[in-house]
Amino acid sequence: MLKVENVKKAFGAATVLDGVNLTVSPGEVVSILGSSGSGKSTLIRCINGLEKLNGGRIAIDDFDVAKPKELAEARKRSATVFQLFNLYPHMTTLQNIALAPVEVLKRPRAEVEQEARALLASVGLSDKVDAYPAHLSGGQRQRVGICRALAMKPRYLLLDEVTSALDPEMTAEVLAILAKLAREGTTMLFVTHEVEFARQISNRIVFLDKGVLLVDLPTEEFFAASGGLAQPRIAQFLSKMKKD
Amino acid sequence: MQFDLTILGPYLGFLGQGAVLTAVICLLSLAGAVVLGMLVAIARTSQTAWIRRLAFIYVDVFRNIPFIVQLFFFYYGLPEIGIYIDAITTGVIALSIAGGAYASDAIRSGILAIDNGILEAAEVSGLSKRITFTRIVLPIALRTSVRPLGSVLINMILTSSILSTITVNELTGQAKIVASDTFRPFEVYAVLLVVYAALTWLVSIGISHLHKHLNRDLASEAA
Amino acid sequence: MRYSDFTTYDLLLLAQGLGVTIGLFLVTSLIGLVIGVLWGVVRFYRIPLLTPLITFIAELLKNSPVLVQLFLVFFGFPAFFHLNVTPVQAAVVTLSANTAAFIYVIAVSAIESVGREQIDAARAFGLSRWQILRHVIAPQAAAFSIGPLTALLVNQLQVTSLISVIGVMDLAKIGATLNLRTLKPFIVWAVVGLLYYLTAKLIAAVGARYETRLRRFSEFRGL
Ligand SMILES: Nc1ncnc2c1ncn2[C@@H]1O[C@H](COP(=O)(O)OP(=O)(O)OP(=O)(O)O)[C@@H](O)[C@H]1O
Ligand SMILES: [Mg+2]
Repeated sequence: MLKVENVKKAFGAATVLDGVNLTVSPGEVVSILGSSGSGKSTLIRCINGLEKLNGGRIAIDDFDVAKPKELAEARKRSATVFQLFNLYPHMTTLQNIALAPVEVLKRPRAEVEQEARALLASVGLSDKVDAYPAHLSGGQRQRVGICRALAMKPRYLLLDEVTSALDPEMTAEVLAILAKLAREGTTMLFVTHEVEFARQISNRIVFLDKGVLLVDLPTEEFFAASGGLAQPRIAQFLSKMKKD
Repeated sequence: MQFDLTILGPYLGFLGQGAVLTAVICLLSLAGAVVLGMLVAIARTSQTAWIRRLAFIYVDVFRNIPFIVQLFFFYYGLPEIGIYIDAITTGVIALSIAGGAYASDAIRSGILAIDNGILEAAEVSGLSKRITFTRIVLPIALRTSVRPLGSVLINMILTSSILSTITVNELTGQAKIVASDTFRPFEVYAVLLVVYAALTWLVSIGISHLHKHLNRDLASEAA
Repeated sequence: MRYSDFTTYDLLLLAQGLGVTIGLFLVTSLIGLVIGVLWGVVRFYRIPLLTPLITFIAELLKNSPVLVQLFLVFFGFPAFFHLNVTPVQAAVVTLSANTAAFIYVIAVSAIESVGREQIDAARAFGLSRWQILRHVIAPQAAAFSIGPLTALLVNQLQVTSLISVIGVMDLAKIGATLNLRTLKPFIVWAVVGLLYYLTAKLIAAVGARYETRLRRFSEFRGL
């Protein structure tokens, strides 16, 4: 289980997360919605240990990310896909994917590379095994980014606006892969502005507003007039998203 | 007097030996300077204040003292403390240390230029600091600093001529011998000057190619 | 000469050596500055034949060891032109020419740093090429070049140490003398190194002061 308990985070005087609670169980797909600056990225960065908490606790399968020894274990159980891909520019696609499984999980290289090829094939990039990131399109890069995360066989996949740097066509190709992962039962915590897509693949939707988690509802209830839409902030957010 | 280059004919092989020694010395010193420069660059980006300070002092001192003074310090000083090494080794050590001060700057800016997102990706995937440094930070930084490191090499070729003052018979040392043998110092040193200029020109072309070759796949990461 | 301990007289020797070093540094920097800027102006006027010739000479001087240049002037010129060249004369000629080559590079990029549109505008007002150079380009180019100039001068101070090789009694030569007499290389070369270091820092500090002053001046003009 991935547990976020009463988490507080501030940058200087600005409180960015204010007592956030959230639980993600294996097999669930949870989407985080919220307007720009509401703290979505910060929450993801707290979960993968890139930001230090100012209060509360985050544990991945009971490994506390605030404790250096446990953080290493927590990081083996989760993997992150980034908005701007963050691929290693001097490594081929295959090397990008194989690096952490070999160095962190200490798995045999041959086996890891075989899996990496299979992963690349599954996202339609068989012919890009030896290509460098600079020679790939944005959508292709993000598909590699997803493979790199999946190669760690994470129990929890964290994704922060992984399509917002892509044009519509590339967005579609990446979302198709995520939908497939969801069907296969991959556990995902998913920050997105693609409301319609979130509705299709999520079990639950949480809504962040100025660092406060306003609602945490099953998808259908979230979009029901009596559920999430009853909250004026959420109704406003959704109608604005529709317009865009 | 006539400007007569034919007098150099019989000495071409002799001068060639000197050129080879110059090349060997410079390549060894470049390797030393890059290794040292890497260590110092790491130290200068360290979290610990006194390590940063120490690294800065090294760079500052060796960049602000003439090389010939540094060279004599080692050449005359090392035997004093019981270290007896030949002049060539002393020269390579001195060139490496002086070059390291410049190389560290080049490598350091290469390190600082690395996109933070790449380092975060490495961190969250659980890669250790050491692996992140050796497999990601250094390879990128070395690639992007090929050009400035090339300038360090070119400077090193010019500076290595000073080793002739401690009996090292590299190119300039051999030329000194030829000049006194032939009594034609003007021809000898004029040619030597042009040879050095041509040599550094060729090296700079080589560096340009190396830079292009190593960075061909390293275009900007952003979409 | 039998070796002996340090005496208070040695301090005087060091001071004298430092004086020679600083004196030659100042004189050759000034001559180099004048020549280098003149070369820059020649290029600005695009004088045929002279411009490529100057560029070629500057490239040769920049890309060959100063030691070889010194040998050419000190040993080569007397043999070839039947001149009498003293060590100090050779030092002045070589260091001035070498400095000029680097100043030339700074001058060219400083002139080029002034935007084309400014020059076009000035021309539209009917200013002559000389008036443009004097009133539009020069003040801005000076502000632009003070930083690189300081770095160059710090470097040229170190280059002066090479004239000790042809026997000029500068700081490095005094160091060599004391080294031979006292056989205490570590102390001698550390002290000599320190004196060079402090002088370099002094030059850098003076340069930094001028830089802030010139910057203020040029910012004020920009309003
Ligand atoms: N390192 C930082 N230092 C200071 N302030 C920060 C830092 N990182 C984030 N913030 C602030 O925290 C707030 C939340 O930022 P965050 O990136 O989490 O928002 P977000 O919900 O992901 O927004 P978006 O949809 O635009 O990505 C913003 O006001 C931002 O300016
Ligand atoms: Mg964000």
